[in-house]
Amino acid sequence: MGSISDTLWDVVICGTGLQQSLLALSLSRSGKNILHIDPNDYYGGAEAAFSLQEAESWVDRLATEDKGLFRSASITKPDVAGLSFPRAYSLALAPQLIHARSELLSQLVSSRAYRQVEFLAVGSFYIFKAPLDPAQQPSLVRIPSTREDVFSTTAISAKAKRGLMKFLKFVLDYDSPEQRDAWKPFVDKPLVDFLQEHFKMDAELKAYIIALTLSLDGRISTEDGLSIIYRHLTSMGHFGPGFAALYPKWGGISEIAQVACRAGAVGGAVYMLGAGIKSMATATDEVELELTSGDKVKTKLLVRGDGSVGDEPSISRLVAVVGSPLKSLFESTIEGAPTPCVAVVVLPAGSLTISGVANTFPVYVFAHSSGTGECPNGQSVLYLSTMATSNSKEVLSRALESFFSAVDHDQVPQCLYQLYYEQAAGVKQSRLDQLTLDLPGPSLSLSMDDTLLKHVREAWKKVVGDTVDDAEYMVFTDREPVDDDDFE
Amino acid sequence: MASDDALPTLKILLIGPSGAGKSALLMRYCDDEFDPDTAAATIGIDFKIKRLAVRGKPYRLTLFDTAGQERFRTLSTSFYRGAHGVILVYDISNRASFMSMERWFDEAKANTVEDVALYLVGAKLDKASRSREVTQEEGLALAEQHGASFCEASSKTSENVRRPFVEIVNQIVQTPGLLTNATAKRRSGTVVVDSTTNNGYFLPNCAC
Repeated sequence: MGSISDTLWDVVICGTGLQQSLLALSLSRSGKNILHIDPNDYYGGAEAAFSLQEAESWVDRLATEDKGLFRSASITKPDVAGLSFPRAYSLALAPQLIHARSELLSQLVSSRAYRQVEFLAVGSFYIFKAPLDPAQQPSLVRIPSTREDVFSTTAISAKAKRGLMKFLKFVLDYDSPEQRDAWKPFVDKPLVDFLQEHFKMDAELKAYIIALTLSLDGRISTEDGLSIIYRHLTSMGHFGPGFAALYPKWGGISEIAQVACRAGAVGGAVYMLGAGIKSMATATDEVELELTSGDKVKTKLLVRGDGSVGDEPSISRLVAVVGSPLKSLFESTIEGAPTPCVAVVVLPAGSLTISGVANTFPVYVFAHSSGTGECPNGQSVLYLSTMATSNSKEVLSRALESFFSAVDHDQVPQCLYQLYYEQAAGVKQSRLDQLTLDLPGPSLSLSMDDTLLKHVREAWKKVVGDTVDDAEYMVFTDREPVDDDDFE
Repeated sequence: MASDDALPTLKILLIGPSGAGKSALLMRYCDDEFDPDTAAATIGIDFKIKRLAVRGKPYRLTLFDTAGQERFRTLSTSFYRGAHGVILVYDISNRASFMSMERWFDEAKANTVEDVALYLVGAKLDKASRSREVTQEEGLALAEQHGASFCEASSKTSENVRRPFVEIVNQIVQTPGLLTNATAKRRSGTVVVDSTTNNGYFLPNCAC
């Protein structure tokens, strides 16, 4: 085995976030010489999943080093017993849902990488309802999102049911010429305006619809909103009854990144963690890199993730370990449906009061049961996200308290651990400069953003060249051989 | 084979430093092949499947190689997930490879469940007479210290090649806590994503 300096690499990939890892997967049968490095000593970059120990060193490092996309990270451990050992937890920096109709899933299936990932069902979406009378407890109302659901729900009036059915039927056909005419005037306007004008929806129904879009600012455009709800509805039932989205066990996207990197390694790529790029020099047809490990390597192409801060607003996140299984959230609602391990709770704009002022933006709570492998039995993990504002940390704390009092009126769950941080949006475009290709930054979206996949495909094309047919992208056969008996 | 799905599936990992002979052991056991010239790092082997009967009961073993990720110690936590057993391999003719085993034991234990089955193999036993650098006693002592079983084996001569696999499976099947997730191929809650049901929930002909 030669030194890594002896090879002229076809591509050096820096970073093991989702996009770079998918690139490694896509090139895993290409026969190219690939060196895949990451300055971090863990896989997953901005999509990593951490044990409590890893989370602690991550927070410590953010306090001293270049901040990149993450800032204001802190850990709070309330003075209560119940936290297990650090490795019993796997806290996801990017707990994104993956809709059943996501292109990512088709690519994982066609590339055979899915075999090493366990997918779990995302169950119900709930909306938080503040009590009309402050002396009363808030509640969680399940959002009906199937036809049966709409018929059977007692949470909304008969009139609202008709309105909801009318809208949902509209969405399934929204891209047809006759329906387009209806929403065209609203294309870039907020979806709420369209729901108001065209469907005359009341505030409650509008909140249901916006919740399904997972729009961080609640102001998603009509065009984007309709396409997301369309994806949600057509994903429903795609892989089985009762769920529209999936979540990879053990830490979400991080797991996919690791499995993709392993596929890269099986294909011959060399992996180094804790090795970043110290300096680089570009010549006519190769880039010379000096790595922080001290190695000097040469490559025909360098692919990195763009770590710079983009134009879009930041978000605030709170990860909370809870000393209760929150069972009521994870019940399956349809016969034959898999037990969901993720539930979504939306606290709409205006449903919380912080120092006398209502919250401007919705707060999304992704509740994960211990079935995700992210915490021990008897506990659960909550991932709260909202737009970053001057008081978003307080908003998230209040949201957590309010969620607790809504989920269980008798015994308020206890929080065992909190990790808070803010994450800036990355740049949205990839950039090619001579022999260096920078992929866009990670997505802040709460569900898998398939638009990122096209940049990975372009990077793949750049490496394999134009002679390779696009139809071959991410289409592989299983590597494992036929069974061989060892029976006595 | 369709009947295979009913077999309990055991995930067993082979780990250890580069060049210790992990892939050779795997190839000899699964395919009864030994190629003295492929000392290069393993490419193209994800895992091997082998059916093995222990105590009259058949099991389906999925045997995972490191895919070269041991070289710079970049095995991922996902690689270790769900492992029932770990076979740690060193080269008896290479002292340094033996000295690194402490760290491999630590990594294996840190990333797997508490009662995971561990097995230490001193590979390249055929070199014992000419270039042994680690005694059998040292190997056994290290294994015992970590609660692991132990043997020395040679992929070249096939001596003892089956032994680690048979014994680790034997160890696994006697640990009831480990087996609970091996029997049900489709665990409750796990979603199958390679076939769709196509039962959309909002049919356009809905009558309301």
